[in-house]
Amino acid sequence: MDPKKILIAVDASDNAARAVTYVAELLGGSADFQITVLYIERPPNRDLYPDEASWIEAGQAQELRIRTFLQQAKSNLTGHGIPPDAVTISYVPHCQSPVNPAAQQCSIGTSIARDILQVQQQGDFGTLVIGRRGVSRAEEFLFGSVTTKVTHLAKDCTVWVVQ
Amino acid sequence: MPNAYEIISRFDPEFPRKRAGQLLTDTTEFMSITYGDVIDLNGRYYLVLRDEKERSFGVEDPKYWVKRCRELSTGERKILKLVFYERFPVSMGSMEIECFRSPRKEARILDLVRGDWRFMQGYSHDDAAGNNVRVLDVVKGDLLSLHIDRLEADHRTYFFEMLPDILEKFAESCRAIDFLHRHGENHGDIRRDHLWLEQGTGNYVWIDFDYTYEFQENPCGLDIFGLGNLLLYLVGKKFCTTFNIPRPDFDGKADVSLEAADFSLLFKHRLANLRKVYPYVPPSLNTVLMHFSCTSEVFYFTVAELLEDLLPCIDEIRRGRITT
Repeated sequence: MDPKKILIAVDASDNAARAVTYVAELLGGSADFQITVLYIERPPNRDLYPDEASWIEAGQAQELRIRTFLQQAKSNLTGHGIPPDAVTISYVPHCQSPVNPAAQQCSIGTSIARDILQVQQQGDFGTLVIGRRGVSRAEEFLFGSVTTKVTHLAKDCTVWVVQ
Repeated sequence: MPNAYEIISRFDPEFPRKRAGQLLTDTTEFMSITYGDVIDLNGRYYLVLRDEKERSFGVEDPKYWVKRCRELSTGERKILKLVFYERFPVSMGSMEIECFRSPRKEARILDLVRGDWRFMQGYSHDDAAGNNVRVLDVVKGDLLSLHIDRLEADHRTYFFEMLPDILEKFAESCRAIDFLHRHGENHGDIRRDHLWLEQGTGNYVWIDFDYTYEFQENPCGLDIFGLGNLLLYLVGKKFCTTFNIPRPDFDGKADVSLEAADFSLLFKHRLANLRKVYPYVPPSLNTVLMHFSCTSEVFYFTVAELLEDLLPCIDEIRRGRITT
């Protein structure tokens, strides 16, 4: 794994934004790194919507929000002096995405953490950066935590957890 | 098109004409569907008897989207759940989570568990307006928790004489939930009100699968926590709380000494460390219970993990192999 290949796994949360800013401030001005900002799509739960149309609408709104976040992340990194060609945006759609039905690479949706680690392994990323919300133990047990799972399952790479 | 009275009188000639209401193929306006109306679902006629009610703390809360009905052609009692998209916060101890009702999810599970006695049975069909109506068989019997509460035995007798059989059946209920998880589903609302003891068969039957949530990294966690809560109830023969701590061996001198660590992960007044008040609870079973306490460092991530620990405890209680 190449430690200078950095994967920042994000959602559109403040914690993810902090992780991006941390990397930007730490590596700003350096040209030796390749940075990928990754989002694994988790579309709105279809069961929550009365029909396809309202589900697709919610999916589109979510995608717009995420893609805006990803562009802001790239601007943040380049704004700190990281060359634009060193920053890649990666949006991995869900396999049953209402807005990206024809995607070639997609997430089957059982675990975001495992999807992140699969991208990390396949892309030879030696450094993985992820934000952390600071969940209680009860929340972690009941709902799970992507960050905790990533730190437990990560192999052959360094994980930076930004809180 | 016939009216409601014509339909009813075909099957029940004695039904008073003035009590007959509307004949409906569209259930969208469920608030106005009431006694005497007939719901026509693809040629099956359901006479509406009343709204279902949820009872808790002695208060009856009407569920206007759930209708107690009689299927006119068979005379069988049915429950019709009409479409009601509701989104509401659910408090779980100190936490609050957003929960949704999903007819689509419940309909899918009804298909998945057809013929499986561990779950309520029924089918779904879209009405003329595309609303997914679920037609459910009535589970005849009692809430399991009420049945347990009514058992006339002191706790020690209950624990050794009755609990092993109860836990055997509960283990089957756990396997039923595991079956859902292995098919990518979950129950979504495991609590005392949703596990019934069926009259006649003695089966434990899960009801109501329409709660759902947004994506979670641990999609089975809520269900497993619900199973843990039920287990606390079954082992304690009630929920032991700070307000009703039993003191079976209180000698008037040394009282039970409890700490925050002895209580539930989410319900801060609910005792998880039952061995402190019932010393004959084997350590192995108490360890299972303590997985749901606020000091637990590990949690069960699958039902199989829970069962792996729980099943040997049943034999241990049966053998009366008690370590104090």
